[in-house]
Amino acid sequence: MAGDASGIPDLDQEKYDADEQVKIICLGDSAVGKSKLMERFLIDGYRPQQLSTYALTLYKYTTTIDSKAVLVDFWDTAGQERFQSMHPSYYHKAHACIMVFDVQRKITYKNLTNWYLELREYRPEIPCVVVANKIDADMKVTQRNFNFAKKQGLPLYFVSAADGTNVVKMFKETIKMAVSYKQNSSDFMDEVMRELENFELEPKKDLLETTEEELKAES
Amino acid sequence: MQFVAKRCGVKFSPPSVVLIYESKDTKTIRKRIIPVRNFSKCSDCCTAANRMKYHVRHREYLEGVTLAQLERLHIVLQDHMQGRSLEHTLASLRLDPEEDLNKLDDEDLARKKAQMDELFECNRRQKDDPGFVYDLEVEFKAEGREPCSWDEETSDDGF
Repeated sequence: MAGDASGIPDLDQEKYDADEQVKIICLGDSAVGKSKLMERFLIDGYRPQQLSTYALTLYKYTTTIDSKAVLVDFWDTAGQERFQSMHPSYYHKAHACIMVFDVQRKITYKNLTNWYLELREYRPEIPCVVVANKIDADMKVTQRNFNFAKKQGLPLYFVSAADGTNVVKMFKETIKMAVSYKQNSSDFMDEVMRELENFELEPKKDLLETTEEELKAES
Repeated sequence: MQFVAKRCGVKFSPPSVVLIYESKDTKTIRKRIIPVRNFSKCSDCCTAANRMKYHVRHREYLEGVTLAQLERLHIVLQDHMQGRSLEHTLASLRLDPEEDLNKLDDEDLARKKAQMDELFECNRRQKDDPGFVYDLEVEFKAEGREPCSWDEETSDDGF
């Protein structure tokens, strides 16, 4: 793992095609506690890679699922959420999504709609969980229904990055969902992307030739 | 404590911290003006506040003033030097649950986060705390949950 922290972080996302690699992204407004949740889950084993050029923080985590080692890359936004939108590469090849809001700030809950719309634009099928963070500030919120999750059919977790309530549970279940999604992926977009990738070289050449021929014919 | 701090504020010109305090011995209310020296647009407010609080000539008077408050006063002074309005500064030092923090610049966002961190640190359970449980699970029953007022506005926003 030492190499991971010191080496130049490769943003080669091909690696997420490998069986044992999953990519999980975090979404949500500024200051809802996304990084604090990551840090609580990874406790002392975390070595975030700050990729400031990409406004991105990567956290690596290794675990075992069904006696197989799984490498998880968590993608955190590092301020990119300020633009109310993420770069498409943020979503690319993601296997699960953790969507966070702050139970003390309504606007962060309302904005889940926008984050969810954007997520589904790029990843229509991946598992997604909704996380109500900072419940330590007001435990009464756990007796309230947050309809967004229910309406979208998404699991809702009441958590606190401060006192740790349900943080580990939420991450572990999300990782399981990511792995299971990957194993059974029949994501239409994934298939289209695969098709397109296989296609790419030849049609381009054909297109070029046709154009040249057409040009000749025209002249 | 010989001096009981009552109120404190700032003066922009020359930059100083103003302290209203009661002197226990004489039972009188007095004002002390503490000039803020060697402090510029780029100084670190926390360091400057620390320097003032423990300064030999002022520390007895500032005993009842927290470091956090002195830091905020330095922020007010510094923002003024940078040409920010007092209104802007005060807003940046206050948490407004309705405010869209996505719209803030780095510095203002950092201030909001610092304020949120106070509660976070207060409620924080750390690895070395006695009785710390890494995988802390609490079940919140779904039955009997009340509707959330945040869902009430039935606009066409998808909620």
